[in-house]
This record gives sequence, structure tokens and C-alpha cells, in this order.
Amino acid sequence: MLLESLKRGDTVLEARGITKRFPGVLANDRIDFEIKAGEVHAILGENGAGKTTLMNILFGLYQPDEGEIYLYGKKVNFRSPLDAIDMGIGMVHQNRKLIPAHTVIENIILGHPRAGNILNLKRTGKEITELCDRYGFKIDLKAKVWQLSEGEKQIVEILKALYRGAKILILDEPTSALAPPETKRLLESIRIMTRDELAIVPFITHKLPIVLEVSERVTVLRRGKVSARLETTGATEKSLAREMVGRDVIFRMERVEVEKGKPILQVENLSALNDKNVLALKDVSFSVQEGEIFGIAGVSGNGQQVLAEVLAGLRKAQGGKVLLDDANITHSPSLERWSKGIGYIPSERVDVGSIGDFSLVDNIAMNYYFDVDFTKGGIVNYKGLRKLTEEMISEYDVAAPSPDTMAKSLSGGNLQKLILARVLSRKPRLLIANLPTQGLDVGATEFVQNKLMEAKKEKAGILLISEDLDEVLSLSDRVAPMYEGEFMGIIPGGEARREIVGSMMAGLKPKVEEI
Amino acid sequence: MKLGSFEVKLEKRVSLPGWEATLISLLAILVALVVFSYIFVRAGVNPLTGYKEIFSYAFMSSFGLPLTINRFIFLLLCTYAFIIPIRAGLWNIGMAGQLYAGALSAFAVAFAFGAKTSQNAVLPPGLVIPLMIAAAILGGAVVGAIAGFLKGRFNTNEIVVTMMLNFITYWIVARLIKEGGLFMGASGEGDGFKIPESIYAPLVKNVPFTVFIALGLAMLLYFLFAKTKIGYQIKAYGKSPSAAKYAGISPYKIPLLVFIMGGLIAGLAGYHYFAAVPGVYKITKNYGDFGDLAFYGIICGLISQGDALAAIPIALLFGGLTNGGRFAQGKLKLGFGIDYALLGVLMITLVAFQFFYRYKIVVVRTKKETSDVGIHS
Repeated sequence: MLLESLKRGDTVLEARGITKRFPGVLANDRIDFEIKAGEVHAILGENGAGKTTLMNILFGLYQPDEGEIYLYGKKVNFRSPLDAIDMGIGMVHQNRKLIPAHTVIENIILGHPRAGNILNLKRTGKEITELCDRYGFKIDLKAKVWQLSEGEKQIVEILKALYRGAKILILDEPTSALAPPETKRLLESIRIMTRDELAIVPFITHKLPIVLEVSERVTVLRRGKVSARLETTGATEKSLAREMVGRDVIFRMERVEVEKGKPILQVENLSALNDKNVLALKDVSFSVQEGEIFGIAGVSGNGQQVLAEVLAGLRKAQGGKVLLDDANITHSPSLERWSKGIGYIPSERVDVGSIGDFSLVDNIAMNYYFDVDFTKGGIVNYKGLRKLTEEMISEYDVAAPSPDTMAKSLSGGNLQKLILARVLSRKPRLLIANLPTQGLDVGATEFVQNKLMEAKKEKAGILLISEDLDEVLSLSDRVAPMYEGEFMGIIPGGEARREIVGSMMAGLKPKVEEI
Repeated sequence: MKLGSFEVKLEKRVSLPGWEATLISLLAILVALVVFSYIFVRAGVNPLTGYKEIFSYAFMSSFGLPLTINRFIFLLLCTYAFIIPIRAGLWNIGMAGQLYAGALSAFAVAFAFGAKTSQNAVLPPGLVIPLMIAAAILGGAVVGAIAGFLKGRFNTNEIVVTMMLNFITYWIVARLIKEGGLFMGASGEGDGFKIPESIYAPLVKNVPFTVFIALGLAMLLYFLFAKTKIGYQIKAYGKSPSAAKYAGISPYKIPLLVFIMGGLIAGLAGYHYFAAVPGVYKITKNYGDFGDLAFYGIICGLISQGDALAAIPIALLFGGLTNGGRFAQGKLKLGFGIDYALLGVLMITLVAFQFFYRYKIVVVRTKKETSDVGIHS
């Protein structure tokens, strides 16, 4: 096969009738689709629609139970990802698989057949630099991977695939961890790559506008089947979401006006250190009122996480004061804060918000084992907790076979629903929601945002931390863009102009008249 | 793997019912015995005769059974000393040190009542025995607490700390019972002093009453992990310290707590073996062997997957085999170390079979011939 003779529009990869079963689940049900050279072909689907399974089949991680894959018109049988890589398929995982202590160049040539035992860094460096110039990637090849941002790490993964000669590039949730400017740069590079007859296949659950912006064709999966194949020219965000979810989805949450009550949370000149003992929260002051959503917008790593942890009692404050209903809780342990009415939805829902090897009942117990209604004389009322869990599963529509299911078997969206159910069921006066919709598909995102609105109606004060500018602006009554540990200002949510908030997130303090 | 029109596949388990786990363990034991038959055959002994000697001595003879039960109690306590920390994700490798400390503390009480000077002293058992037990618990707990405190406060590796404490306590015992040490026995042959008959631990049908303590602990631990708040906190910390912290569980207190609990149970094991087993009643010169035996608690704990009730039959089996294996070795004139070899084979097989806790073998009928041809370009 002469890959060089490939012409734009030639079919490079074709899947016919791909079926894959797992115990109790039909993950892929007779899926057909084809990818052409030089096109961006998005595969869209909610969590659990069979997207990941399909991706793993295309990359040789799974073998399909039925169906065939044709590459350049020839039937292939990938026994492992190595076969796929040798045939010019590259994959960029959502969870980056790089070695943090190594440099960019070392990561790129890791496992490359031409690397051999003696590294010729000079020659490879030159080759990789050429690749970067060609596709418009800007990256320091000598930097260590741990120093890079998420977007830069992704560039390393893409370079790695390209350097190994990938002609078909599978991207798993390519923009989910990127800041807006990084997203923009990535999309530009994708456009350049397609000029070289590369086929790009992004798998996406959310951020539909990106699909529309960059791809020519879309295959939508729903419950393991192809529910639609369309050209993006005629498609709208709304129509794509309908195909994905199977019903209409509301995109812009209507902000409900609720009469504001007295301030619940008052934060005065709060400072704190991050894990590397660097001052990451600098002198922040604000308050959250009853019936208000106070949004914090910003790219991750600008102190939002530190702020959330200090407020939740999981991190020490270096200076300043935190008042909850006028009582000083700056140094109270987290357990005391939970009993006083703080609810915390952590951003790390797998590592902090839940325990994968615990049943759903035991996961619900995380916020209840200390509650006198469920624990008397040191004995936990597991029967009561089981009933509570069953109620939450049905009320929050968590897709789980039973309360005894292990939490690790839930999808991201269902896990988040469970955490949300657990935290909200305690009727918190103050809810700290840290990236509550990150990585969720449109249906689950809508659900979570609805629940936040409901909590607001019930007069809870909500601190919403989000990277999604649209989300923060549409939900929040007031917004504080955060940059390098400081608030760049506090502006009313409704009138805030996207561009202004965006530039504030990048560290620019606006002139008063602009707001 | 394909066999005719059938295909044998490994499948990841979603859940593991209790009876299947039991079946897997029984199968593992069977396989281990079959494998070990080879050793018997090599030694010119019919394996069936070999196993008959081992099991009949360990579980049916009037000489062997009490020894098996004493070993069982000791092993079960050591297993629990391991299980509690392991449920919090922490490894207690220091049962030996903790049980030495327990034994020393118990004998210190007897010493304080003048037990060393007079072999025939009539001491009030109702006072001295409870005090000896309390001291044993305290001694084990203090040694355990050192590792727990260092882990919780400074995140020191608990395996290294408990291991080192084993050496320290080992030599403290040596200093005390040998060569003119404070607890040296009258014979001067390297044993510690013997306690007077009046404070021998009570026997029930020739079995030390400590068996009730061990079985009571089984119930208590089962209850602790199944029902209580503390049990929940320990399990949560064990599965995910960061999630436990979020749930308001102290990352300092849990390591300290589990090592105190583990240590006190190991301390009890020290009391049991040196002050309650008939015919011993002293810290023997070969006390190090019992420290080594304590390590089987780790194996029993791992095989029972931290389940206090499942540990009972496993500790009984290992207690019986250490005992019956040694007997058969002598009777059948087998080579030195056959008993340990048997235990070794059994351990490896049991651990290897835990693979089936996570995977199961399924046989499916293949519908049509699929060609497994690679890619040729």
C-alpha cells in the first residue's frame, strides 16, 4: 500500500457491522462508518453510548465479536495496539500516558522502533521540529513533561503519533481539559493536518460547538447503535444534542431570579499554599448570599482548587478569615463544616468524591456515617442507608443495577449524580461545586445544572467553580474571574461580556467603563 | 484458547459470592496437596499415607489435637493483628515484636508478684491473671502504636518500622531471659523463669481459655467491620485515604488506631503461647521460632482477604499442618524441612488461586470459524 498515493476523499478506514458484547451489555451494536482521507470525522455520543468501546476496537485494544474493519480497502485484524500503530493509526488518550520526569523529546521517541539503543537526539529533534513547524505546534522539546500544561501535553501525544507515521489520528475528548486559547490553537493545527490528507477522528461527549467548528461529518452513537450520520453544514448544536440524547436538550439554563437573603459565607483576605508550598491563593475576599450562585471562572490551576479545599476544611488557611453565618470557621475541621451545613462537590470525583471499591451504599455513607440519624452508639444503620441510597438512585436517575454495585462500575455522569444526590440530600446552606459538569455529556450536564438551580431556589448559597465560561456566565448571579490566585474583579453574571471575562481570566484587569 | 468448536475465555468477575470464594480456596488446597504428592513420591512414601499421618495426628489424635488447637489460637490472634491494619491499607509486619512485648509485659507482672523467686508461690489467680493479660495487651499496643504514630504523623513506611521493631524487641527479650537477665530462669539453660502453677491460665477440656478470647475476637471484628462507625472509617481510609479525608476521617488517627488494635491482639498471642499453653509457662529460649510462626498470620490474613470469620478455618488448617507436618516428618523419616515445604506449596497455591477471585473461566461455543490472520500490507 502506497500511503503517499492517497488522495483527498479516499476512504481510509471502514468499519462494517461492529458488534461487541460485555456481560449484560451490548456495547456496540452493528456499527458502520467510514473515514476519508483529509476529513475530520467526529464520533459523538453520551457517556455509555459505546464510544470508548468502539475507539478501543479501532485501536486494537479489544477485538470485536462480530464485524470487520477495512483499512485502505483491505480487511485487517488488530491483535493489539501495536498492529494498529504499525498500520498508521495514532491515538491520543484523554488521560495522558506520558512520563512526567522525561523531556518532551524523550517521550516522543519512547518506544519508537527507530530510536534503537543509542539515542540520536539531535537528528530526531530536528525531525520533530520540522513536524512542529509544519503543523503549527509550539513546544519546547527540552522541557520536562511535568512542567507542561494539559494542552501542551496533548500536543506531545499528537506529535508522538505523527512521528510514528500516523495517517489516522483518533483523539479522545481532545478539548475537555484545555483552556479556551489552547482549544483555539488545537483546532487550527487540526485544520492544517487535514490539508496533508490526514484523517482526524475526534471522539466527543460534550462541547458540541467544537464538533461543529472543526468537523465535516459526524457519526452519532446512542446506546451502542449509530443513531445518525450527518454533515455538519446543516447541523446545529441543538440537533446534534437531540440525536445524542434522544430528546431536546436545553442549552442555556434560564437563570431563575431568587430574592437574595443574608450572606451565608463571608471570606476575608484569605490566603493559602498549594501542595508545592507556593502561595496559590492570595488575599481573596468575597461573600455568598442565600439564593445566590457565585461563580468563579478561570483556567484550572489558578487557585480555584486551593480555595475550594480551604473552604471545605481540607487545606489550611495561611491567613484571613472564613465566616459561615457569622461564625468563624477558618480553622474548623471538615466534619464540623459538614454538620454546620456546608456541602462540597469535589472536582476529583473518582479519587476524592467517591470510593471505587465501595458499594453505592458505602459511598452514600461518606456523608452520613457521622449523622446521628444514621449512626447511634457507634453502630451504623446500614439498613436505613440502603433505603436512602435506593431513594437517591431513583430520584436522581442513577443508572446502577443495585445499591450494592461498586462505585467504580458507574460512568462519570452517573457517579457525579450519585455524589450530587449525596451532598444535596443533606440540604446544605452553602454548596461548593468544584467543576461539577467537567467531562459530563450534555444530558448529565443539564441534569447537574438543573439541580444547582433547584438548590438556589431553596435558598442555598452556591459557590460554582467552572472552567466552562458559558456555564459560569449563564448560571451565576455574580462572577469572579480568577487568575494566579487572585480575583480579577467581581462582576454581575447577567451582563458580563464573554470577551471581557475571558480576558480577565487571562490576567487582565478591565477598565471600569468596559464592564 | 480454542478446543474444537468451543472457546475457553477468561472473564473479569463483576462480583464474587461467598460460596464461590470458599470453593476456590478448597480447590486450591486440593491442588496443593496433589502437587506436594510429588515430594512424598520422591521420598518413597505413598502420598495417601503421608497425608493420613499428617491429618490424623493434627486433627484426630489425643496428643496432636491439643497442640493443633494451641497453634490455631496463636495463629488466629496473629492473623487478626495483621487483618485490622490491612483493612486500613497498612501492613503490620511486626506481630513478632508485638507478641514479644506482650509476653515480656505479662511476665513482668508475674515477676512483680514474686513469681520468679518462688516456684511454689501461691498467688491469687483472680488478680494476677487479669493483670498479666492487661499487661500483655498494653505491651503489644505500645509497640504497635509506635509504628502507627510514625505513619500517621510523619508518613513513615510502616513495613520498615514494624520490621525494625521486631529486631529491637527480639534482643530486649534475649537481654532479659538470658545470661543473668532479670527474667532468667533457674535452670540457667537460656529459658526465662517459669510461672508458679497457681497462675497457669485456666484450661477448659485441656484447652487454654484463650480460645474463647480468640473466637470472641472473631465475632467482634466481624461486627466491627460490618456494622460500626469505626469499622467504616478504617475501611474508607484503607480504600482511599484522600476520599476518607474528604469524608472527615482523620488521616492521623486511623493509622494509630489500627496499629494499637493490631498490637494489642499480637500482645495477647504472646500471653497465650508463653503463659497459657500447657507445658510451656515460660518465655522459652527458642522464642524466636514463635516470632517466625507469627508471620503465618500474614499469609492467613491475605488468604482470608481480611475477613475475620474466614480466617478461622484457614488458621486451623495452618495450625494443623505445622503440627502434623512436623510429626509426619519424624515418623516417616522424611528429610528436614518437609513440613515447611508443604506449607510453602500450600501458600503459593492459595495465593495463586486468588486469580480466580478476579477472573472466571467461561466456555463458549464458537459460532463460526473466524480466521485469526494478522495484517499484511
